[in-house]
Amino acid sequence: MKWWGWILSLLPAGVGILIGILATNENITNPVLFLRGRFAVLATLCGVTISIIIIAAAQFWIHTQKKHNREIQGVRKQANEDRQRFLQRLDHELKNPLTVIRAGLTNMTYEPLEDYLANEVSAVQAQVIRISHLVADLRKLAALEITPLETTVVSMAELLTEVVNVVKDQANMGDRQLTLILPHAPWPLPDVEGDPDLLLLAVHNLLDNAVKFTAPGDTIEVRAFDDGSDIVIEIADTGPGISEAEIDRVWEELYRGEQARSVPGSGLGLPLVRAIIEKHGGNVGLRSRPDQGTVFSVRLPAI
Amino acid sequence: MNNKPKILLVDDETAITDRLQPFLSRAGFDVDVASDGEAALIKIVSYTPDLIVLDVLMPRMDGREVLRQLRQKGDWTPIILLTQVGESAERAMALMEGADDYINKPFDPNELAARIKTVLRRASPGQPPLTVAERLRSGDLVVDRPKRRAYLNAIEINLSPKAMSLLEYLITHPDELLSRDRLLDAVWGWDYPIGTRTVDTRIAELRRVLGDDPGDPQYIETIPGQGYRFIGKVEKTS
Repeated sequence: MKWWGWILSLLPAGVGILIGILATNENITNPVLFLRGRFAVLATLCGVTISIIIIAAAQFWIHTQKKHNREIQGVRKQANEDRQRFLQRLDHELKNPLTVIRAGLTNMTYEPLEDYLANEVSAVQAQVIRISHLVADLRKLAALEITPLETTVVSMAELLTEVVNVVKDQANMGDRQLTLILPHAPWPLPDVEGDPDLLLLAVHNLLDNAVKFTAPGDTIEVRAFDDGSDIVIEIADTGPGISEAEIDRVWEELYRGEQARSVPGSGLGLPLVRAIIEKHGGNVGLRSRPDQGTVFSVRLPAI
Repeated sequence: MNNKPKILLVDDETAITDRLQPFLSRAGFDVDVASDGEAALIKIVSYTPDLIVLDVLMPRMDGREVLRQLRQKGDWTPIILLTQVGESAERAMALMEGADDYINKPFDPNELAARIKTVLRRASPGQPPLTVAERLRSGDLVVDRPKRRAYLNAIEINLSPKAMSLLEYLITHPDELLSRDRLLDAVWGWDYPIGTRTVDTRIAELRRVLGDDPGDPQYIETIPGQGYRFIGKVEKTS
């Protein structure tokens, strides 16, 4: 229980005792007489009883709540372990067949093939490589969740500046307006504790998405600020937006939204962002309006 | 006279060995096959391979056990492990146990052939590979791998954990062209589009701390458009 909880629960007892003290200044030696006759003691007793009931009820409620939370955590942990095992098995069962297919295809191209066959072989080869990458990425995503972080002090202001500069130089940037807004007054953006490479990857993925899903002429804003204990990073764009039905889905592995089907990608970019940020004790969020645009937000504990 | 390097290919999946044996033969190697760890230990005696390509997960005796038994006997025949172990920590462990290199399944067979050539070139017959050495020296630089510390002119240098891992990988693979993708895979355990820049950032940190001039490097050379190469002469030290 919090301190104010204790004060509230003990208030009736306090009031009862106070009334008791005010109503009597005699020394009573016989408790039976006292109970029957004295309003003062009744008041005290009532007050104390109410307090005891409140405290007992509160403790019971807290206990039930904790048990419930433990159960939810247990179920989540179990689901996550199941998923990890599934990914390991999937990886294990696919690696040998994929090795065979890749070696077989390479053998087929040892002798020069006729044009039409060469085209077929290279098309199949490209798809096998794609599956290989997909399986590897899924496994790496699962591994990320269970590998401990190597952390240092990271200046998010510098990191965001770097990412924005990288993305500005990207070939697909076109004439999109990309601006970075960092706080300077009254104080600059606080640092965070984390793995700089992973954080860079997460922010880059979000910003790269913003570029991919907008058209030339759109505006992209990267904003960061602190709200006391956390820093908040927002990546906002004037792109097509995400429909309400899809908003919760985009963080799921291999999910590809309606807008995403025409854009190349693995369906693992956002799950990776979420895994990295949650690994750092933060969380991710998203607000969007169709035809107006999208704001992805990242919250990380500040130092 | 047959002076092709002799490769022993060990994997329990015949579908794999049936594809890789002709491939490696065409790549210029003499290839023999064993289908599990026990068979491999027997074949090693009669065939005396120059290099063993060893799958990890096999029935009867797995690849790790073969590796351990050979190294305990003082047999330092170069070994490339075929793994699917995702975590770089576990792969680093495999190297410490005495593997010369590893390659993740599924792999590009051309990549396997290239790795075999590199390991053969790097290996000195009968000698433990650099990957199992605890302390390595290159010029004024000493790397203490178990302690994860590095010294320049006997003064400890301060490196971020990733830069230390990167230095360790570079110094155990001297004179080898290492692409950014391969460094990412080996040191970071993931490869994503921005990753190549991540490698460049850590290389820059190493150069700054080592005082290495990219224009006239003593340790790390940039191969434009391809990757990096550790050019310092590396020796084991105590």
